[in-house]
Amino acid sequence: MEAVIQYLLTGLSVGSVYAMMGLGFYVMWSAAKAVNFTYGDIFMLGAVLTVVLMDIGIGLLPAALLAILASAAGAAAIERGFVRPFNREASAIGWMLTTIAVGTMLESSTTALFGSNPRMLPSPLAQEPIRLGGAGIYPQELLLPVALVVVTVALELFYRRTLLGRAMRAVAYNRTAAGLVGIDADRITLIAFALAGVLGALAGVLIGPVIQASSTMGAIIGLKGFMVAIIAGIANARGVVIAGLLYGVSEKFIEGYLSTAARDAIGFTLMVLLLLLFPQGLFGKKEFSKV
Amino acid sequence: MTGKLGFGRRGAALFGLVAMAAAAAVPARAQRAEPCIGASWELTGPLANQGLMLRIAVETALDKINAAGGVLGRPLRLVIYDDVGEPARAVDNGRRIGERDNCVVMFGGARTPNAIALREPLAEMGLPWIGAISAGTGVIEHPNGRNEWMFRVSMKDRWVTQYLIEQAGARSPSGRIAFVYEGTAWGQGALPDIEAAARRAGVTLAGRETFNIGDQDMSAQMIRLRDAGVDTVVLWAVDRESANMLRSMDRIGWKPRIVSAWGLTTAFARAVGPLADGIMVAGTFNWNGPLSPAAQAAFDAMKAKFPDRIRTTADMEQPSAMANAWDAVHIIAEALKIAGSYDRTRLRDAFFRVNYTGLVADYRPAFIRGNQERMDAVLPEAYKLQAFHNGMLMPIEATPFATRTN
Repeated sequence: MEAVIQYLLTGLSVGSVYAMMGLGFYVMWSAAKAVNFTYGDIFMLGAVLTVVLMDIGIGLLPAALLAILASAAGAAAIERGFVRPFNREASAIGWMLTTIAVGTMLESSTTALFGSNPRMLPSPLAQEPIRLGGAGIYPQELLLPVALVVVTVALELFYRRTLLGRAMRAVAYNRTAAGLVGIDADRITLIAFALAGVLGALAGVLIGPVIQASSTMGAIIGLKGFMVAIIAGIANARGVVIAGLLYGVSEKFIEGYLSTAARDAIGFTLMVLLLLLFPQGLFGKKEFSKV
Repeated sequence: MTGKLGFGRRGAALFGLVAMAAAAAVPARAQRAEPCIGASWELTGPLANQGLMLRIAVETALDKINAAGGVLGRPLRLVIYDDVGEPARAVDNGRRIGERDNCVVMFGGARTPNAIALREPLAEMGLPWIGAISAGTGVIEHPNGRNEWMFRVSMKDRWVTQYLIEQAGARSPSGRIAFVYEGTAWGQGALPDIEAAARRAGVTLAGRETFNIGDQDMSAQMIRLRDAGVDTVVLWAVDRESANMLRSMDRIGWKPRIVSAWGLTTAFARAVGPLADGIMVAGTFNWNGPLSPAAQAAFDAMKAKFPDRIRTTADMEQPSAMANAWDAVHIIAEALKIAGSYDRTRLRDAFFRVNYTGLVADYRPAFIRGNQERMDAVLPEAYKLQAFHNGMLMPIEATPFATRTN
């Protein structure tokens, strides 16, 4: 029973990270029908910049806030410089290559400047775990599902209740028509990438104290966030959240009861099978285009 | 009689002579090497810190040797290439070092797969190689039993596993010992060695657990080991994943003794803080204990040459590897003096005649010809147990963990 509790707790924590990353992909895809494949590095920047800012004497919370804002600005710059110019046509795929290239550059330059060693991101919530019998969890990890709920609700409200959110939905629905009614689709896309940057960096800042900040911490997380978005159907925010949590928990049960080494192989096989059965994703709808 | 291509018998004979002369000339040219050590190290990527620590030790040692007049009247240069930890790049770099730079010797980096990938190219080029980190048994003990060019001043996994099992056995109250290793070539390569060492020591491993590089949570593995009654873990991993493993142990409130291979550095202790206290690590050298005059001089020289990186002995993040590298450079210089020229074959042969007192060991002789097991210079007698204490990796005698029941 203790093991089951442990797998649920850590699964929900890591699943929340996947879900937040998946939400970031959802936000980007909705606005641009393109994503930032260096998104794992935005996650990494959140944690690494927080450590760097704390090194120069800034406190944890302001450092985290500044790091998130800087990462969001970085994500927006990537949209402006490496996605938009390569996403002018409906079938354009140049942005895939450019964002992957930027990711490699970001990771290499972070290794050069920050070092290759993992660094502690000190947080009072990652000192002592809360123990439940033979299971346990750091309070810091409990922040992740809480943050996920807050982010999901806030995103829903943002899309439904604010002018900017509605403009984003309009651009997502029909970019050309949105432009015809006076919405600056390029600006909206830029903001959407910045918003995704906030989500990715927030996830990095929240999990950083538990897994340490390092230049390579985003690679696998970014990939899994994208996978979760695809499994769910990238245009469905609630679906992405559910898929992220389920994927995180199922990973832990696979590790616990099947195989640790084969965890990712099983996970990725599952993804392929699901996509064969549900080509639009578990929660996605088939998109029709009138010709 | 004229052949199909129009050669006469005389022409064919002439062609044969030219071909023989060319074949003889190629190795002769290859032997006239330059006074340089060609290095392929991890200068970028996740292992960049290991490359940096090697660079600090090797450059400083070369400065010392060159300040004293160099070797055979010429300064010994260092040519460094980055392999990012990738075997294919290490092989490319090896070719550059052997064929374009024509260096007299190659200095290997941290990763065992890179060194193993170099076995055949080095033999083809007749280029001596010396390693100070990559500890895989197969780097030196080649499956065909015919290692002629690869030498090492480092630990050897087969000997390390024996050492770790002995240390774990001596410290485990119940004798329930488990092996936890990373799912890489390095980790998986150690598993048969650990099992063999355990059999020799009469230990039955109570668990074997692995994890993937980048894994952030190992609760499942730790729960299984805890539930199996394990009290001592032999660890085969590097900093980041080991830190995550400790977090997983902390979550479930389990604190076994940990005896680790030398993948753990002081960066690990900085990342996990007090959780690292008491973790034991096998190594060849420790800069935080009492230093001999030679070791103190080596440290002072590194500190003077790299003042931004080395301020105290705690900054020697790869303590054993740095001492190994220091000794390896001096063994190369001694061998070149014995060889009497910058000739790769002579250098290779001279390695077997080197007797040298280094920081890590008294190498007498450094290597033994005809016994590839002894193309490793550092013998198990020189292995030392260290322990993390207050964020520093100390000689275990200088910590409260020296008592085996602690």
